[in-house]
Amino acid sequence: MPVAEPAEPVVAAVEPGRVRWDPAERRARASQSFWTAVVGVPAIFSVLRLGVEAGGELQTTLLLVANVGPVNLLAGFLTTAARLLSTGLVAVFALGAVLAVSADRLPPGTRRRPLFARWADITPAWVVLASFLLALITWPLLYLPLLLPAFVAAFQLRPARLHERVVPRLLLIVALLAGYGWLMLPTMRDAMRQGDEWLVLALIVVPPLLALFVAGPLPGMVIRPLASVTEVAVLATLIWAAVPVITTPVLPLTVTTVGPESGPTEDVRGHVVTTDDVNMVILQERGGVRYVPVGLVRAQVLCPSEEELPRHQLRIHDFHVEDSLLEGMGRRVRPVHRIDAACRTPA
Amino acid sequence: MNSGSSQSRLRSIASTLAVALTLVLAAAAGCDSREEPELPSVQEKMRETHIYGQSKLRIGVATNEPLMGELRNGQHVGFDVEIARYVAASLGYEGEQRLEFVSVATEDRIPSLQGGTVDLVVSSFSMTEDRKQLVSFAGPYFVTTQEVMVPVRLKDKVRTIEDLRDPAYKVCTSGGSTTEAELEKHQVKTFVVKDVGDCVDGIRKGRYDAVSSDESILAGFLASFPKEFEIVDMPFGTSELLGIGVPIGDPALRDLVAFFLQKSYEQGRDGDASPWQTAYNRTLGPWLKAEKRQPQPLEVPKLVDFDDKAPAK
Repeated sequence: MPVAEPAEPVVAAVEPGRVRWDPAERRARASQSFWTAVVGVPAIFSVLRLGVEAGGELQTTLLLVANVGPVNLLAGFLTTAARLLSTGLVAVFALGAVLAVSADRLPPGTRRRPLFARWADITPAWVVLASFLLALITWPLLYLPLLLPAFVAAFQLRPARLHERVVPRLLLIVALLAGYGWLMLPTMRDAMRQGDEWLVLALIVVPPLLALFVAGPLPGMVIRPLASVTEVAVLATLIWAAVPVITTPVLPLTVTTVGPESGPTEDVRGHVVTTDDVNMVILQERGGVRYVPVGLVRAQVLCPSEEELPRHQLRIHDFHVEDSLLEGMGRRVRPVHRIDAACRTPA
Repeated sequence: MNSGSSQSRLRSIASTLAVALTLVLAAAAGCDSREEPELPSVQEKMRETHIYGQSKLRIGVATNEPLMGELRNGQHVGFDVEIARYVAASLGYEGEQRLEFVSVATEDRIPSLQGGTVDLVVSSFSMTEDRKQLVSFAGPYFVTTQEVMVPVRLKDKVRTIEDLRDPAYKVCTSGGSTTEAELEKHQVKTFVVKDVGDCVDGIRKGRYDAVSSDESILAGFLASFPKEFEIVDMPFGTSELLGIGVPIGDPALRDLVAFFLQKSYEQGRDGDASPWQTAYNRTLGPWLKAEKRQPQPLEVPKLVDFDDKAPAK
């Protein structure tokens, strides 16, 4: 299924001084840059992350580089960045499709279509679909309703597509909304009871209604400003959201109890970089690397970090609203997570 | 034609509004995802307590109340001790090296908290209004009643509070306990000693004829000398709510202890093996006449913890 109208055959033909690309070559180039981005961006991010994790110390960064495998690094990056990545893609494709469908209303004399519209044009439908699937399983449940208008916009699913006659169309819409309401009603009731959860209520109630109108087309006069503003906004958001991704640790947080067989012990809070026959190398939470002789390690526990604390006390059918579908399912497989006593002690 | 175009204009305005609103909502969601939790977290409370950063937690316990708090072969055992261990572990103090049990006599429970020689007191400490002026309480973690224990030779002679008033019987109790005040209210003349254990010793040596205290404490001595004593059910009418004593200047620690007691309470209520139930079954359970459950703790704060996202069922 094409995302929007196919690209115009010779876009650059009218611009003097520009190299002419025929559509096939253009597509090949696009695919090349796509794969370069897919491989390059995570690699660059991962290295940046290592530097941040090492506390900015060159020698510590080198120690991490020597001990963290590229596969671990990439997997670690994907688990934390999948959310950001899918958000960026979903935003671009949804906005792009709406702008593309409105592009013929651009004031006469405007030659170039908006950037996002061109991106949406050349992206194969399966990439768009994959981005939405990624978002579906990695976004917190609370934000999933926003995916609804985005999906409708990206695939241009106007209510007219449901049924050609008005009455059955309305009935279908009412039925769909009722189903959604049934799913969300207990959560909405809880949010009302808690009193100060207005944003949660808005996030649950408003997006399905917006989905009815969001597909466009937009009036000609708003296309330009919308295109420029959203381009800047998406870029700014990605940078703003990339900061936590870069600062999220690559290695799991542990507390290691260190001490001789009979004697006082000490808790070392930090990330285990590597363990060999002689030493366990721990990157301490407060900074600095500690080489602990293996014989002195009494115990070790895995600890959660404070960023994982929930902000809302709401559930959707026993799934916490801040869990993604993946996390929620995971909690069903391993329901009880005991926090070890050692994790409570200060660093 | 005209109506068609106005309809299309209406639709495009609706589209514009919808796109704008979606973007606003998305922005709001993005900001929300970066906010700190509104409720205080367990970790934040920990940082407010006076024990934060302390290498050892000192808990005041009794050492001569069988089943509740007893020193046996150098090991602290009993229901209070097990509750203390659970609370300590929840606060991050697990294992003998990080935990120090301090022997505290009944009358020294308040001064030791005030003087800072212990961080917590778990020692059959009844929560009363008078005491709440001096120390804070988290709990209750146990509800018991006041009873009287007599040697077997007197079991048919001492049956009522009236009998206790008879000057022929010497009634003994521990100083600074709620029992002392309660007996005074009933005009029973008492011999006040340091600990209930001293009363029991005294009875066995013939110095006293009866001892009055909490049922849970007496049950411990009955377990030690099952053939020598009997507990007499007397209508004292007041129930004793045992709580964990916390220095009055440390509300954060009180909140945390109450929070962890509530956690155990919720576990037990859902039918799981709670730390409280395990402690009870291992100590008091077999020796009390009636089956007991963990009472619901009072004034439990709402705190955010790491396991909040775990499924309820």
